[in-house]
Amino acid sequence: MAQSSIGLQTGLALGRMEQRSLWRDAMRRLVRNRMALFGLTVAIILVITAVFGPMLTPYDFTATDLTITSQPPSFQHWLGTDPVGRDFLSRIMMGARTALLVAILTTFFSNTIGIVLGGLAAFRGGWVDISVMRLAEVFMAFPSLLLAAFVNASMKRPTAQIFGNLSQTTGMKWVADTTVIDMLVVFGALSIAAWPWAARLIRGQILSLREELYVTAAQAVGTTDWGILRRHLIPNALGPMIVRITIGFGGAMLAESSLSFLGIGVQPPAASWGKMINDALTGWRSYPHLVIVPGMVLAIVVFAFNMLGDGLNDALNPRSRGR
Amino acid sequence: MFKVLIRRLVLSIPVLLMVITITFTLGYFGPGDPLLFQYGEQPPPDMQALERARHAYGLDRPFHEQFFSYVAGLFTGNLGRSLVVQQKRPVTEMMQKGLQVSAQLGLAALVLMVIVGIPLGIIAAYNQNSWLDYLIVSSSALLPTIPQFVMAPILLIIFVLNLGWIKTSFGWDGTVFSQKAILPLFILVIGPLLTVVRQTRIGMVETLTQDYIRTARAKGLSETRILVRHALKPSMVAVSTSLGFIAAGLLTGALFVESIFAIPGFGSLIYNGLRSSDYPLILGTTMVSVIILMVTNFIVDLSYAWLDPRVRTE
Repeated sequence: MAQSSIGLQTGLALGRMEQRSLWRDAMRRLVRNRMALFGLTVAIILVITAVFGPMLTPYDFTATDLTITSQPPSFQHWLGTDPVGRDFLSRIMMGARTALLVAILTTFFSNTIGIVLGGLAAFRGGWVDISVMRLAEVFMAFPSLLLAAFVNASMKRPTAQIFGNLSQTTGMKWVADTTVIDMLVVFGALSIAAWPWAARLIRGQILSLREELYVTAAQAVGTTDWGILRRHLIPNALGPMIVRITIGFGGAMLAESSLSFLGIGVQPPAASWGKMINDALTGWRSYPHLVIVPGMVLAIVVFAFNMLGDGLNDALNPRSRGR
Repeated sequence: MFKVLIRRLVLSIPVLLMVITITFTLGYFGPGDPLLFQYGEQPPPDMQALERARHAYGLDRPFHEQFFSYVAGLFTGNLGRSLVVQQKRPVTEMMQKGLQVSAQLGLAALVLMVIVGIPLGIIAAYNQNSWLDYLIVSSSALLPTIPQFVMAPILLIIFVLNLGWIKTSFGWDGTVFSQKAILPLFILVIGPLLTVVRQTRIGMVETLTQDYIRTARAKGLSETRILVRHALKPSMVAVSTSLGFIAAGLLTGALFVESIFAIPGFGSLIYNGLRSSDYPLILGTTMVSVIILMVTNFIVDLSYAWLDPRVRTE
C-alpha cells in the first residue's frame, strides 16, 4: 500500500515535470520580469486600440471643426484638438493602427526574405552564399533609415501610377487610395532596408547551430536531416529570432514615424504619430501638448517593445542572463 | 594583417559601385521627369521650353549615357546641380558647405564621447552592481529609445519655454561654441554617448577579470597605472566594434536634429532633398553617407590591429 502510494506520488511528480516544457518555463520567467510585463501590457493595449480603432475613438478622427481649433485638453476632448479642430485623442488612437499595420507588414516581409535568403546561403554555401551575403552587404552599406527614406521618396510616384492604373482596369477604388499607397510604399521601403540584417542573423544562427554537439549526436544515431531541422535547429533558433523580431517590431514602428516625420511617409488625413509631431512642431510655443502627447506615446511604445524583447531574451535564452 | 586590410579595401570597390548603380537607377526611374515634377500638378506652359531645358540638363539622353556621365562626374567631383534648392547650385559645393557645419557637430560629439563616455563607463565598471552602476546602465538603456524628434521638442519646451535658461535655440552661429548649439549637440550625442558608456563598461568588466590584471596587481602597481597601462586599451575593442553604429546614428541623427533646429548642415541637405524630390541632391548625400560609413568601418578594422596585438600577427 505504502509502496504504491510512493509510486503514485513519483508518477505525479514526473508527470508534472514533463509538463514544464521550454515554453512554459519561458512564460513563467517572462511574467516574473516586471519590465517585460510592462512591455507586454503596452503591446496588448496597442493591439486592442489598433484592431477596434474606430469603435473606441470618441470622435471621427478625420472630422474637422474650425470652431474648436487647437484647444487645450478638456472634458469634451481629453487631449484637446489639433489646428483644424480634429479630436486629438482619436487621432492618437488611429495612429496606433497605422504604426502597428506598417510594423506587422515590415516585420513579416523583411523576416520572410531574410529567412529564405539567409537559409539558402547557409544550406547551399558556395556561390549562393557568397552572392547573397554580397548583396546583403551592399544594402547594409547604407545607413538603414536613409536607405528606407531614399527608396520611399523615389518609389512613391511609380507606385501611385501603377495602382492608379490597376484601379482603373479592375474598378476597385481602394487600391488607388492615397493612404493605402502611402503605407505600401513605407513598408516596402522599410523591408528593403531591414532584410539584410535578418538574413545575416539567420545564416549565422544556422551555421553555428549546425556545429553543436547535439546535432552531431543526432546525426550519429541516424536522425534524418528533416528530423534534425524540426527537432533541433528550429526550436533552438526560434528563441533568438523571437527576441530580434520583438525588438525589430518596435524599431519598425519608430521607423514609420521617422519617415512620416520627414514628410515622405503616411500623409493626412491618415493619422501617423511622426507626422503629428512634425505638424505640431511649428506651434510648439503655443500648443506644447500637441507635440508632447504623440512624442511620449511613440517613446513609450518603442521602449515597451525593447523591454519586452529584453524580457523574452532572458526568458528564452536563460544562459545569456547576467551578462 | 596588412593584406587583410588591402583585401577589404579592394572588396569595398564593387560594393560602392553597386551602391551607385542602385541609387542612380532608383533616382532615374523613380520620381519621373524631374523637370516636369517642378511644375507640380499643372501642365507645363511651354512644351518647347521644357524640351530645351531637358536638353540643357542632358535629361533627354538614354539611361546608360546619363549613368556613365554621372559616374565619370564622380571622379572629377561633379555631382550635377540641384534642381530645386538654392538657385540650382552644384551639389558638390552645397555638400562642402554642409559638411563644414556637420563636421563641427560630429567632432564635438566624438570629443564628448571620449571625455565623458569612456570615464563614465570605467566608473560603472569599477563600481559594478552599485547604485551608480545601475543608474548609468539603466539610463543608457532608457534614453536612446527616445527618438530625437521627440526629445528635441520636449527639451525645447523644458529649457526654453518653462525654465528660460536658453534664449535663442534655432539657427547656426558658425561655430559649435555657442548657446544655439547646446541643445542640438546634446540631442545628437546622447544616444551614441550612452552606447560608448555601455560598451566601455562591458569591455572593462571583462578585462578586469583577466590574469594579467591580477599579475599587475600582485606586482604592486597602483590602480591608475593598471588602468592606463594594462586595462584601458583592450577594453576599447568593444567600443570600436560599435563605432559603425555610432557613425550611422550620428548621420541619421544629423538629419533630424539639423532640420528641427534649422542648422544649415549636411543633415539639412538630406532633409531638403527628400522633401522636394531634388534627385541630384539626394543621390549626392546618399553616396557621401555610404562613403562615410565605409571609411568608419575601415577605421574600425585598423583600430582592432592597434588595440589587440593578436590581430596584427594574423
